[in-house]
Amino acid sequence: MDTALETDQLGKRYGDTWALRDCSLHLPAGRVAALVGPNGAGKSTLLHLAVGLLRPDAGTVRVAGVPPYDNTDVLSEIGFVAQETPLYPDFTAEELVTMGARLNRRRWDGTLARTRLAQLGIPPDKPVGKLSGGQRAQVALALALAKRPRLLLLDEPVASLDPLARREFLQALMGSVAESGTTVLLSSHLLADLERVCDYLIVLHAAQVKLVGPVEDLVAEHRQLVGPRHHGEPIRGVTEVVRASHTDRQSTLLVRTDGPVDPAWTVHEVTLEDVILAHLADGETQTSNEAWGVPA
Amino acid sequence: MIWLTWRQHRKQALFALAGLAALAAFIVPTGLAMRDTFAELGLPDCVRTLGKLGPENNEACLTGYDQFISQYGAFLLVGILFLVLPLLVGLFWGAPLIAREVEQGTHRLVWTQGVSRHHWALVKFGLIGTGALIAAIGYGLGVGWWLGPLNQVGQGDRFDGFFFDMQGLVPVGYTLFAVALGVFAGTVWPRVLPAMAGTLVGFLGLRIGLAMLARPHYLPAETLTFPVMGTAVAPNATAGDWVIASGVRNAAGELVVDGGSIECPPNPTGPGANCGADLEAGTYNWQLYQPADRFWLFQGIETGIFVALAALLLYLAIRRIRRIA
Repeated sequence: MDTALETDQLGKRYGDTWALRDCSLHLPAGRVAALVGPNGAGKSTLLHLAVGLLRPDAGTVRVAGVPPYDNTDVLSEIGFVAQETPLYPDFTAEELVTMGARLNRRRWDGTLARTRLAQLGIPPDKPVGKLSGGQRAQVALALALAKRPRLLLLDEPVASLDPLARREFLQALMGSVAESGTTVLLSSHLLADLERVCDYLIVLHAAQVKLVGPVEDLVAEHRQLVGPRHHGEPIRGVTEVVRASHTDRQSTLLVRTDGPVDPAWTVHEVTLEDVILAHLADGETQTSNEAWGVPA
Repeated sequence: MIWLTWRQHRKQALFALAGLAALAAFIVPTGLAMRDTFAELGLPDCVRTLGKLGPENNEACLTGYDQFISQYGAFLLVGILFLVLPLLVGLFWGAPLIAREVEQGTHRLVWTQGVSRHHWALVKFGLIGTGALIAAIGYGLGVGWWLGPLNQVGQGDRFDGFFFDMQGLVPVGYTLFAVALGVFAGTVWPRVLPAMAGTLVGFLGLRIGLAMLARPHYLPAETLTFPVMGTAVAPNATAGDWVIASGVRNAAGELVVDGGSIECPPNPTGPGANCGADLEAGTYNWQLYQPADRFWLFQGIETGIFVALAALLLYLAIRRIRRIA
């Protein structure tokens, strides 16, 4: 399977702080991937590295096999919608489409952009600064799609939209990428936004990759176990205990499995949200306790 | 890119054109009126002969000068306002160039299209720089022409302080420098207001610093000495020299009067008969100056310094742009 985006030991540092560290992942072509993590987890940094806005401080990032930094050949194959969908507020949508044509001489489908904007009822002659947030997001998406990208990156595209505009935006996105086979990576701090549209998941937390894989596999290999008080001894069929909570007599574990589990445990299926929350909870409080100078 | 640059900056370009038009609407009529009066008073002849004869031979000319200055001297104060024009170009064209893109986040839109940011920067800097250059040349030549008569009558010598700064080549250097400083400030503080503030402080600091500390020393100053008694070789105040320091020194060379001069007519009689009588023998007037014919050389040196600084700042800005995300 082709790889649309791959990173190897990728790292980016701001001063002494690593915004992203030891990030190794690969995103197969044709997937619609969700990049999930709390605010400040490094999602934007990863996307900016992928779209060549940032140069890595460690490791490599490749889009279709080529590092994107300062490489206009690759840039013309990536569609990018940045956080808060920035557009020149005094330009009309029509002028923005013209701008796209002037800046993307190699590949630009102005007809596609105009058709989309017409279908969405966006006025061509009104400054985009006066449009609603949802309409602006649609204009930004139309501009990104008009590049006919092989990889489409969207940074928190729906974060500032109301629920109705969110659904319309995601529908428009899915409708268009389904036809073209474009690989999509979109970030959000809310899984609920993306759960219905994504078939691949990358979870980032505190600058590190916590979880990567196809959604189906992730859900299939995680299980919740309930059983007698557990003290860390190995359990048959379990490769990793992601999260454990205990009462005096009973333990509840969220685990990754690779086969039938010891029948002493009651096994429950889990949702994708359970899996993500379990992985995010891991290690979350440790740094904060240190920062506040209180015991864990 | 050219289309985008025009589309983004056309308002600024129109404002600049309107500003230049307003400037022209002021200096053309007043400049013509000044020239008419100048000719009516017979001052062009005075300017031609005065430097050679010495002022005492030309009472009529001095009267004419005074009349001209009392009529038009106030324009010199108006002229000082023109000094801020290069700074305005730096503040409103230079500073927002990158700062506004980053403030609005649109750098992430425009730098992820099929044009490299290097190319983006070169086209933007090139077009904005050319616009600033044309405006500055128009302004420098226009104000130089306008100030001509006033400079010639020795009020507001064109080599002196403010008047050197507002005409000839230097406005071009200042304007390009102001734009480059604004662009660079935008890469250091990627917000419009801090970038403008940085431009303001940096521009004023360097302009004032260079004008006060460095400019008198671009070339070694000439020294002029002349006796207290008899003013036959006294310097002509309208010659256009830039007097940096002057005073009266005694025979041993010590400064006895700092600033100013003492000039007594030969063999004084009447109320001023004891002029200079209380001075030691051998006391002389002393003057440190840059000769008037160095005006264009100094303009060239100062313009060169500011253009070189502008080029350096743009180079640094391009380097910094590579790290903005």
